[in-house]
Amino acid sequence: MLEMLGKLSLRNAKRQAKDYIIYFITIVISVALIFSFNSIAFSKDIQELSEMMKYFNTSIVVVSVIVVLVIAWLVNYTMKFMLEKRSKEFGTYQILGIEKKDISNIFILENVFIGITALLVGIAVGTLLYQLLTSVIMNIFNQPYKIQIDFNLNAVGLTVVYFGAIFLVALINNRRKIRKTKIHDLLYAEKQNENQLVKKSKGNVIIFCISIILFIIALALTKHTFRDGNTISGNLVLIAIITLIIGIYLFYISISSFIIKRYLENKNRKYQKNNMFIFRNLTSKINTMSVTMGTLAVIFTIVIIGCDVAMLMNGMLNNEIDMGYTYEIMISSLDGDFSRYKEYIEKNAKVKEMYEYRTYYVPETGIIAGLTGSAFEGGKWYSEDDVMKLSDYNKLREILGYENVTLQDDEIIVQCISTVQKNFEKYIEENNTLTINNKQFKIKEVRGEDFAQSSGFNSYIYMIAVTDEVLEQLNCTEVGEEEAYDFPYKLVVQTEEPTNEEFYEDLRALIPTEEIPKVEEIDGEEYEYSYERNLANVKTRGKRMSESKSFYTIISFLAFYIALVFSITSATILAIQQLSDSEKYKYRYQLLKKLGVEDSKLNKMIFKQLFIYFALPMLIPVIISIPATLFIGNIFLVGITIEEILLNIAVVLGLIFIVYGIYFIATVVQFERNINEEMRG
Amino acid sequence: MEILRVENLTKIYGKGENEVRAVDGISFSVEKGEFLAIVGASGSGKSTLLHLLGGVDRPTSGKVFIDGKDIYTLNDENLAIFRRRQVGLIYQFYNLIPILNVEENITLPCELDGKEVDKNKLEELLKTLKLENRRKHLPNELSGGQQQRVSIGRAIINSPAIMLADEPTGNLDSKASEEIISLLKLSNKKYNQTVIVITHDEKIALEADRVITIDDGRIIKDEKN
Amino acid sequence: MKEILKVENIQKYYGNKDNITKAIDDISFTVEKGEFIGIMGASGSGKTTLLNCISTIDNVSAGHIYLENEDITEIKEKDIAKFRREKLGFIFQDFNLLDTLTIEENIALTLTINQKNANEIDKKVEQISEKLGIKEILKKYPYQVSGGQKQRCACARAIVSEPSIILADEPTGALDSKSANDLLNLMEEMNKQMGATILMVTHDTFSASYCDRIIFIKDGKIFNEAVKGEKTRKQFYNEILDVLALLGGDVRDVR
Repeated sequence: MLEMLGKLSLRNAKRQAKDYIIYFITIVISVALIFSFNSIAFSKDIQELSEMMKYFNTSIVVVSVIVVLVIAWLVNYTMKFMLEKRSKEFGTYQILGIEKKDISNIFILENVFIGITALLVGIAVGTLLYQLLTSVIMNIFNQPYKIQIDFNLNAVGLTVVYFGAIFLVALINNRRKIRKTKIHDLLYAEKQNENQLVKKSKGNVIIFCISIILFIIALALTKHTFRDGNTISGNLVLIAIITLIIGIYLFYISISSFIIKRYLENKNRKYQKNNMFIFRNLTSKINTMSVTMGTLAVIFTIVIIGCDVAMLMNGMLNNEIDMGYTYEIMISSLDGDFSRYKEYIEKNAKVKEMYEYRTYYVPETGIIAGLTGSAFEGGKWYSEDDVMKLSDYNKLREILGYENVTLQDDEIIVQCISTVQKNFEKYIEENNTLTINNKQFKIKEVRGEDFAQSSGFNSYIYMIAVTDEVLEQLNCTEVGEEEAYDFPYKLVVQTEEPTNEEFYEDLRALIPTEEIPKVEEIDGEEYEYSYERNLANVKTRGKRMSESKSFYTIISFLAFYIALVFSITSATILAIQQLSDSEKYKYRYQLLKKLGVEDSKLNKMIFKQLFIYFALPMLIPVIISIPATLFIGNIFLVGITIEEILLNIAVVLGLIFIVYGIYFIATVVQFERNINEEMRG
Repeated sequence: MEILRVENLTKIYGKGENEVRAVDGISFSVEKGEFLAIVGASGSGKSTLLHLLGGVDRPTSGKVFIDGKDIYTLNDENLAIFRRRQVGLIYQFYNLIPILNVEENITLPCELDGKEVDKNKLEELLKTLKLENRRKHLPNELSGGQQQRVSIGRAIINSPAIMLADEPTGNLDSKASEEIISLLKLSNKKYNQTVIVITHDEKIALEADRVITIDDGRIIKDEKN
Repeated sequence: MKEILKVENIQKYYGNKDNITKAIDDISFTVEKGEFIGIMGASGSGKTTLLNCISTIDNVSAGHIYLENEDITEIKEKDIAKFRREKLGFIFQDFNLLDTLTIEENIALTLTINQKNANEIDKKVEQISEKLGIKEILKKYPYQVSGGQKQRCACARAIVSEPSIILADEPTGALDSKSANDLLNLMEEMNKQMGATILMVTHDTFSASYCDRIIFIKDGKIFNEAVKGEKTRKQFYNEILDVLALLGGDVRDVR
């Protein structure tokens, strides 16, 4: 008896894997992804790449949980689906007199077989994937890497636990269903009408319109709240999200009747090229699938926007480095004594260029008005303007390979970060003079090359250069200790090779400190304490790059992880739906063939039908995510341009489309194969 | 006028020892407007023959001429087109597209061709088939007999050269069977439609103008009624 | 002869307070051991519901059904599987064979669940497959054999555990005429030679003519009964047609 049940379960499992091969492959891919990512999280090699990489570990585990939830949904859905399709089979088991508990056991055993197989294959694939991903990361960090088969038991354990939990929960859920079934329903399940055609209510058109309105509202709220970094309101974002979600569901619930009404009512199109058959097929399916499609669309929209934003942050960070860390080593100090640093630097790096200088402050000249209309408007928190001697300015330019500039004594140059250059140029068109210390100067030009300004080293955002002679005469402000943005004395160094994190730590250790006593009044009580204040600032490009690479890696990999998992899950669900229909409704297509439809035409029909079906859940996500990202991206315009935002959107969408597209093609191929089996009348 | 001519038609399945001659050297011809019944026990080859006549399946050897055209010189694509314009098919099971209503099922051949439907012809057909009040119904809302009536409509709408029916009453009770038989006769007489019915039902055979009996893939009798 | 099935005043309702359909409206009859009984009626007459109630697929709303003196309507949920596999055999219109098992395994399944020992099972399967002419296809899978052969297997499966009664639901519905013929002859053999009690629901007069007795159902009630007795099958066939004509309301001479 046990033998028979075991035999039955094993054979059923084999059949299940064959019939639902796309699902099986998706599970294998998911196992591979989770396993490889968790292996990375536990990999010492990777963690040692940088300080920040330990966050990678934590975030992978967190994201894995989300991924596991998504896969759990897929498994549960598919199991439920397969169970429904096999209603008659389970009814037969019951009628033959197999106990319900044995029937549950058959089902459980089948899925255990499938699960274990998927797990084993997935881990094998995951090991290879792990190698691949590790070498990519190593590459990003310019580290050499040897391929080594290194098996992380923790990762294996975690993967097994995750998938064990997924299958367990799904099984418990579905087992309950088996217990509850009435045999009558099982046996006659097929004869029930699945095909309710379009619900003929005018209501659907209204719902459709409401959904469009909700979309507009959600987007408007997004645009409004993200118009600048200070106005982001958590509440508004929440409302926007809720509005969007409701809108999406309403859209998909009403879309099928909308298609029929708009498209088919047009008599001409009705008879054109088999549209009737396709659209009736679609609408009956969309009706039953509207909630699922809505869910897929919601998930995709969130995923796409999330990935876009992640990419934007990456882009912004990269740009910031270029704009802010133009020199390998940048040290600013309260006094001009850089000897201790120079000693270390000369011992531990090959120096290409080295230069010492200082910057000055003058009371606000009004040039700040040039920031009007830019992302930085109102963003500078000290009122003085930075000034630099022309000789220093030119030397610093020379180190960076920029051309020299000349100035007359009555001229100044504005040097700013590239993203606000246009704003300053616009300002200057109308106001090309400047007053410093009651003297008027002509603004010769605005220069926007990268000049270590976004990091605040050579001034923050913008500065003014004047001739050496003029500077001698200027009344400069001595900025107090509290207000100083950065120390006035500066040292910049370019080295042959990039420096590393250790180098940075060593330099920092050299910074002198002093103790400052403070007295503060809180609630009428006086508190005395002291704190240590650094008397210098050290920045190295090496450290910054390392941080940003870590950040970049973490963000990219996580975004890729999530996006990939969602894409394959959604595509799998759609594929399963359509493929099981192709089995069930095979005879419809075969009837068409017999009545006289050419193979090529039939294939075109299938392609069209599947294309619409796969494209539909993507429709709203694509349409909504582009403007939403642009609106959110507004706050990133400090460090990134519109073109770059659009490029990022394109890349994210492109990757998702490729994965989705592969599943789509696989479904089309399998569908056609299913239809063409046994054409015998 | 000769509308169908079959020359030495043969269909062999399998190889060597397992070889089955489903149709074995059959020849005959049919005049336009004839109502022909092909009878035989199951396994006698009649269903295979029907598919060969309709261009649904290719013969191992032999020729089939419909309205003068040697249909098996056409490639698959053109054969499919030919079929939908010149052959009306009615089966015993799974005859209609369940998601299309009565009207749409009947006009399906036109839809496949991308042609406009002759409204008058459609109306007339619906009336003749007594389906006027059910034109928007779906197949699952119709009885077996009504479904077969829709199939007849579909088979006639294009005025094909030949109408082929494979055990059209096989799944129906006696009352519905009768209705179908008389409708087939009606379409035969009214539209001068050539009708070829494959059946084991003697009642249909009686209604036909001519009966060809098949056994073991060969014609053993060919009589006019 | 022994009474094997007793249906006593059963009723079956569907729906709720506002919309009640009475599928079965007080039906009573008995079936003797070894009888081959047919139930006929138009679609919607309640014949399928009747079969479902007898076969435990559905529950009656009122009344009792006794199989070998055991009240089907009172069987507890936990005992029903056992009841089905020991007392009932089924032949469905669409065979309902399990496609991941071979023909042999399909037939043996009920025996296996009944915990018979392996040798005994093999012997019984061999015997029955020989009697029903399906010995050569035992190792094949359902998708590899024809409809007629599938139905034979279903018969083998139904009879091999020697149930009290075999229930058949339009068994010839999906078969071509030759296979249908073969099946009915087979069922007759099962009934006459192997002593199986068979209750068959059908709308096909030809199938019905093989029965010993026909019960006609109309609007959930028993409308008429016809007994074959000494008549030939052809005579019985015509008698059935007459009753059906009455049932249908239309008088058409279809002989």
